[in-house]
Amino acid sequence: MTDSPGGYVIETSGLRKEFRSRRGLRVAVADLDLAVPAGGVHGFLGPNGSGKTTTIRMLLGLARATAGTMRLFGEPVPNRLPAVIGRVGAVVESPKFSPHFSGRQNLTLLARSIGAPASRVDAAVDTVGLTGRDRDRYKSYSLGMKQRLAIAATLLKDPSLLILDEPTNGLDPAGIREIRDTIRGLGEAGVTVLLSSHILAEVQQVCTSATIIGQGRMLASGRVDELVGASTAYRVGVPDPVAARRVLAEAGFTVSAEMLVETDRPADLTQALGAAGIWLNELTPVRRDLEAVFLELTAGTELGGDA
Amino acid sequence: MMRLVGVELTRLRWRRAVLALVLLAIVVPALIAASRIWATRPLSQDELDDVASMKAEEVARCVEHPRQYGIPKAHAEEQCEDLVRGWYYGARQPLSLSRERREGSGIGVVAVLTAFLLLAGTTFVGHDWNTGSMSNQLLFEARRGRVWTAKAVAVTGVALAVSAVVSTAFWLTMWSTMRARDIPMLDGALGDSLAFGLRGALFAAAAALGGYALTMLFRSTVATVGVLFGVALAGGIIISVLGIGDQWQPQKNVSAIVKNGTLYYVQPPPSCEGRVIEPGDDECLGERELPLWRGATYYGLALVATAGASVVSFRRRDVP
Repeated sequence: MTDSPGGYVIETSGLRKEFRSRRGLRVAVADLDLAVPAGGVHGFLGPNGSGKTTTIRMLLGLARATAGTMRLFGEPVPNRLPAVIGRVGAVVESPKFSPHFSGRQNLTLLARSIGAPASRVDAAVDTVGLTGRDRDRYKSYSLGMKQRLAIAATLLKDPSLLILDEPTNGLDPAGIREIRDTIRGLGEAGVTVLLSSHILAEVQQVCTSATIIGQGRMLASGRVDELVGASTAYRVGVPDPVAARRVLAEAGFTVSAEMLVETDRPADLTQALGAAGIWLNELTPVRRDLEAVFLELTAGTELGGDA
Repeated sequence: MMRLVGVELTRLRWRRAVLALVLLAIVVPALIAASRIWATRPLSQDELDDVASMKAEEVARCVEHPRQYGIPKAHAEEQCEDLVRGWYYGARQPLSLSRERREGSGIGVVAVLTAFLLLAGTTFVGHDWNTGSMSNQLLFEARRGRVWTAKAVAVTGVALAVSAVVSTAFWLTMWSTMRARDIPMLDGALGDSLAFGLRGALFAAAAALGGYALTMLFRSTVATVGVLFGVALAGGIIISVLGIGDQWQPQKNVSAIVKNGTLYYVQPPPSCEGRVIEPGDDECLGERELPLWRGATYYGLALVATAGASVVSFRRRDVP
């Protein structure tokens, strides 16, 4: 799946992108170290203006890095990008096609440029559910259909790596679910997916690992369950909360007013209550979700627009 | 590479705006040819009768009011006849290949082909930038130099094919019309005309390439057209105002290419004043020759500079 000795499909080191304008220098990406392991779906999260899209554009050769190094499948990019671009499917920002051509014409031109057979176009159209509308002009498509066409274009290459920047933008709930299932299926089939999204619940459902960036810097990276953290709080449900609170306090546990107990030893908790003749109705681990982690990490880093 | 060129030719074929411009590059020269054939048609008997009638009326008016014609009343009869004869000679200039090349429709056809094919080259790629689909294309072929070249080959190839066919058809139509009208022609007139057309076709194809290269540089059809309009409008004026020689005027160099050399005007030095100009005394001549190679170098260098800047820009700049 990957040619990288480290087992990473995407690697960046000290990646930096500066934009110069009349208003001065703006740093969109600052010394970003990113490592996306082969296989699975990797979330790429960050508030508006955090540098997600700029990073993706640099990886795909659409923007030049000011400093730092990047590798795709172990090959340095942009120098060796032509050697690996055939294995990378990507949707960057909004779909960009010729509005006067039909969806099929747009796909046909892209397929021909890589020597893909016409049957690949049929298959891609079918996969994203555009059959029947593929001969209509692109400009007549709804945003959701445009998004589907963009995903169809990525499938023309039969990619090993999919980079998707907000792929469910504009889709209806059914469409979002379809795309989510498609992404999950691709991940399970061995395709590495880098999914940039603002919809954190979606990322948490689909992604196996994630990187969170803010103001162009990496804030956290790892498996989603590691980012969310091992649960250390449990909600305790008992018939007599006052007695239970006393017993647990005597056993050395801290109990909140909502009967939440901070511990990494839930077995000791049940033992203490059981020894006092108090039987549990409920012992539920209370997990933080990705949204809480995200908001905690990115507090104060939001800018005006995505860069 | 050939695969990419094929893709660009298909893209070009599917672009309606480009097709419309190519169609205009065919239709307008056809209309020019038709108008020239019509304007040089031999007079019919009815027209000859009309001319005779108008002449008679004019003579009668002159005889009645000779002072209005500057003729003394005493000699009105004979002088009016002589005066008016020159006004109604009853003929049109016949079609002439050399005249059409020198001062007629030939240069007009080249101008039309150049304008429409330049706009076609500009529109073709301006659309890619305007819609943002250029970035999508680069996600499938990351070698930007190849992408630039494939598009350039498609634009230039189509422009050359269209302009060569249109030019050749134009001159063959003129030639066959002259033959049909039994108008005598100089030896080699057809060959000279076809060569004129071919040089014009090459110039039009180069203009299409230039328009394409400029649009790849500016990334906007509007910006390219604006710059070209500004250069066309102000370039000649600035050259004149700055006192730069006539040989640097853009249109003179076009003439030099298409007409296989042309004349330009120079101010002879003060030492020539009152001097009798003898054969070989070129320094005092008010006209000099601007050869084909000078015109080709003038536009060739401009094209190479534009294409070079365009390629470097496309390879280095971020693509939106």
